[in-house]
Amino acid sequence: MGSSSRSGGLTIRDVGMVYRRRDQVTTALTGCTLDIPEGGWASLIGASGCGKSTLLRILADIVKPTSGVALVGGVSPAEARSARTFALVSQQSTMLPWRKILANVELGLEVAGVDKAARRRSAEEAIELVGLKGFEQAFPSELSGGMRQRAAIARALTLKPRFLLMDEPFGALDEITREKLNFELLRILKETSATLLLVTHSISEAIILSDTVAVMSPRPGRISHRVEIGFGHDRTNAMRDDPAFGAYEAELRHALHGPASSARPASHPIPAFAIH
Amino acid sequence: MALQTEAIAKSGSLSWPGLGPTARALSSRPRAVLAPLAVLIIVLALWQGLAASGAISPLILPSPTAIAGAFAIDGGNLFYHAAYTTMEALSGFVLGNLLGLALAVAFLYSDLSRRTVYPLAMAAQAVPIVAIAPALILWFGNGMAPKVFVTVFLVFFPMLVNALRGLRSADAEVMELLYTLSASPRQELVMVRLPASVPFLFNALKISACACFVAAIVAEWIAADRGLGHLIVLYGSQYRMPQVWAAVLIGTVVSMAVYGLVVLAEARLAPWLTRQRPISD
Repeated sequence: MGSSSRSGGLTIRDVGMVYRRRDQVTTALTGCTLDIPEGGWASLIGASGCGKSTLLRILADIVKPTSGVALVGGVSPAEARSARTFALVSQQSTMLPWRKILANVELGLEVAGVDKAARRRSAEEAIELVGLKGFEQAFPSELSGGMRQRAAIARALTLKPRFLLMDEPFGALDEITREKLNFELLRILKETSATLLLVTHSISEAIILSDTVAVMSPRPGRISHRVEIGFGHDRTNAMRDDPAFGAYEAELRHALHGPASSARPASHPIPAFAIH
Repeated sequence: MALQTEAIAKSGSLSWPGLGPTARALSSRPRAVLAPLAVLIIVLALWQGLAASGAISPLILPSPTAIAGAFAIDGGNLFYHAAYTTMEALSGFVLGNLLGLALAVAFLYSDLSRRTVYPLAMAAQAVPIVAIAPALILWFGNGMAPKVFVTVFLVFFPMLVNALRGLRSADAEVMELLYTLSASPRQELVMVRLPASVPFLFNALKISACACFVAAIVAEWIAADRGLGHLIVLYGSQYRMPQVWAAVLIGTVVSMAVYGLVVLAEARLAPWLTRQRPISD
């Protein structure tokens, strides 16, 4: 994965983020470096508040880092945003409630000024790809959370983004739906050959969807471990039963919580009366 | 007729969030119409009985049949003047609401205009506009203009306040989405801010649907040779109380009809607010 800073992938070089409020200084991120080659899949995993979303939002040009460099396809996030080379999918599956699903999926292309017939065609394709066919004329409020999230992914796909930035896209969903969508996203990624950066707090989701998992630690937010997932890009459901999957899981768990000296976190001892 | 519109309007707006709107509306609609109708009939019967007993002078409160009789005698006249007032009220309604919305959009994009004009708009709202009606008649003459002006004056402010809130009501995530899509400010306004403000705009329209008639009629009291307000003053001075009440009744029915139309328009133009049946995965 030795790519230069002008790579066509996603680059984060020594990125820091410091918030100053009056005389209070909070270091949210420090010395974060990560390179994702074009076409690669990477995850940022960590507890809430470790700055993983901030890192993603820096790449999406929503916030600016106070130090360091972020590059999206070799250019600044601001340039990448106006060139529309990336798409962001957030946890809330942000939908415009007054638009039906078809019109919501068309939104990105409509903003980009694509003519009506062409954007209708792309939207219908993307809706088919995420398995929402038949729901084009439903309002978002009529769909379940999982279906809305599919629609949000479809909207991102219509833009044919080179980079897919996903901020806990399945975080609000139940385990069963989440896993189903994980494998559907795998299929979609292979079809589109997009570069993926995924923020998640699910270890299994990170393994299923990544070549590289970057583990982040809080206070100050930094990348503390890196785990390479050697499954290649031809992945199926069966990978979950692979012994290597369990090994990656254990490795990531240790990286997140420290070595497993006890089954429960030391900071939350179970009260004596609860053990019987 | 107007009662029915009102009742449909009510049951339409009551079946808001996720209550299986079609089934509920169908089952509650007859009751929503019949119950107030029954009360109305009882009140009218008591009123008629009271008037017939002679306990109240017909000058103070004419009987329902006397008011109905007024329609028989002066119906054409009443409807002519009602149409005139309706034109004034609706012109004021349209212009005032457009003005309020336009100001809200201007305030949204220009902080300078908001800081300088908004306080003045609020101060203008505090002016007892009816009290300066004589001045308005000096400025605009005796025709429709001063009445429309008063109506605009009373209508624009609820729209301004509601539209300002509505235009800012879009979710932060939605605005962020538009930002990452590199949307222009105009696209932001048309695709997100205006649609997001629709429920707020309809709140303002509902307030002003009835208020515009009050404004027009009161403005006609001061000086007019046409309109319901003029008619009420004229008939009042002749002690023709059934005609006065008939004029009031027409005004009520017309403004209720306008209110009903606003509610129906809301259901038609904002279907996402009423359609909430979840389809499962």
